[in-house]
Amino acid sequence: MAKQRRIWAAIFLALPMFIYVSIVILPLISSFYYSFTDWNGFNADFNLIGFKNYEKMFSDRLFANAIGNTIIWTIAAVLLPTIGGLALALTLHGRGFFSRIYKSLFYLPISLSLVVIGQVWIWIYQPDWGLINITLEGIGRGDLTQAWLARPQYALYAVILAWTWQQTALAMVIFLAGLTSVPPELLEAAEIDGASYWQVTRRVTIPLLAPATVVVIALGVINSLKSFDVLYIMTRGGPFHSSDNLAMFMYNESFQKYNMGYGSAIAIVLFLITLVVIVVYFRLSTNLEHLYD
Amino acid sequence: MSAPQAAEARAERQRRVMVALFYGVLTVIVLLYSLPSIGVLLASFKSTAEIAQDGVWNLPRSLNFDNYVEAWVAGNAATYIRNTFLVTVPATLGSIAMGVLVGYTLSKLRFRGSDALFVFIVAGLFFPPQIVLIPLFRLFNALGLYDTLWALILIHIAFGIPICTLIMKNFFAAVPTAIREAAIIDGASEWQILLRVMLPLCLPALAVLATLQFTWIWNDFLWPVIMIRSNEMRTVMVGLSSLKGQYSVAYGVQSSMAVYASIPTLLVFVFFQKYFIRGLTLGSVKG
Repeated sequence: MAKQRRIWAAIFLALPMFIYVSIVILPLISSFYYSFTDWNGFNADFNLIGFKNYEKMFSDRLFANAIGNTIIWTIAAVLLPTIGGLALALTLHGRGFFSRIYKSLFYLPISLSLVVIGQVWIWIYQPDWGLINITLEGIGRGDLTQAWLARPQYALYAVILAWTWQQTALAMVIFLAGLTSVPPELLEAAEIDGASYWQVTRRVTIPLLAPATVVVIALGVINSLKSFDVLYIMTRGGPFHSSDNLAMFMYNESFQKYNMGYGSAIAIVLFLITLVVIVVYFRLSTNLEHLYD
Repeated sequence: MSAPQAAEARAERQRRVMVALFYGVLTVIVLLYSLPSIGVLLASFKSTAEIAQDGVWNLPRSLNFDNYVEAWVAGNAATYIRNTFLVTVPATLGSIAMGVLVGYTLSKLRFRGSDALFVFIVAGLFFPPQIVLIPLFRLFNALGLYDTLWALILIHIAFGIPICTLIMKNFFAAVPTAIREAAIIDGASEWQILLRVMLPLCLPALAVLATLQFTWIWNDFLWPVIMIRSNEMRTVMVGLSSLKGQYSVAYGVQSSMAVYASIPTLLVFVFFQKYFIRGLTLGSVKG
């Protein structure tokens, strides 16, 4: 019996594990290997050059720039969707027919591709008839109009805002799910004790949403490390690398400049950063579970 | 009317005003939030000349489908959309099938180390795909699958395994083991149990995964950018982004293409919203 079960387990796992290991795991390992080479993407042969690619990073101004932008992106990706998503979820939670329609409208961006989202946001920032500039002119502040995506000091933030538009919807979904697990009796009890809506929200609801908040923040960090599509569409990391993040920088080095060895080293750095984030996340979420046991 | 009654009526009126105000403000926020999507629709009905004159943010002068025709015929939308379906449908089904197999095994045919294997697989959910771009580029070149839809199908199946395993395993765990044991006594093999007994119980989980995977794979941009070179093999998202060069100021044609590119996932969203939203929360909260 037990032996037969093991045989079936092996049969069921064979194909999926073959695919997963050969397309995800082995390439991940070989990325480490390529990061010690000078491969250019075309030639069949290349040389092992030790830690040269990693040494190059420390003196590469563009790498430091990409790291800085990734940090800015991550901070924004945590703050904006968390606050916006929480506010939306608290507003829309369980209010019948209308709120269901409103919820759907807020969910919508999640099903749109970041390519489409990026394209639309280009028009919001468009210099001549973009939404922001015509609004500024409309309120008599035409002096503030900009070619938002063409200015190094604004491009990164402009892209982050477009991306956040979608992430806020995702955060709202998670907060709404968290809200359904808040026992209504608890809120009623607080209200009977004479607490105002605002007090109940601050003292009861929001603390109970702590696990959901950890998920939203972790997801924000992980997604911002991955983010590439919307940058590619809107600025390609420009102008003058001002909106490069690590993922974009890695793409440009590998697939535009064909420094595949250096690109692999950047990918490894991205991997290590993600690893740290995940370890912290699992520590935090198990701590939280103990808190609520 | 007595004084307390009047006070009550005033309170009621005040309450109604507050509710109206609440929905009024909410409607404004929703409209602002939806503006980007509305903009695409508006622009798709405008000629280039009209956009140059009026911009995209006001109503089109007439309902004009020229852009849709142009995007479909000259813009290759038909080819791009066909390619995207050819990738998305098999990759969605394939990744779910893999997830069913792994999820079932790790939940009902547990063995020493199966929990560790589960962590090992689910960890794949978190890592940026950038980490394997270069090795996979090399691998698929070597296999002769570079610039084919096969590369995309295989990659999406592989990268779908973590989320499909996660959701299927959690779902199978909730199915009582007694059902499986009863079927074994009736002489069913594991394969028959999985296919005839377990799978019909898991239709909601399959629906959740189908909506999620379809949406992610359809919307994917990174992999076709890396793996596809020729125009005839492009998926619709890459087609849309390449249109920016070809029709750089033809915003109307770009918008029509964006509408084409969004219709399938929007339909999935409209008809299967319940499953889609459930999948998002399952995938994130449990992960």
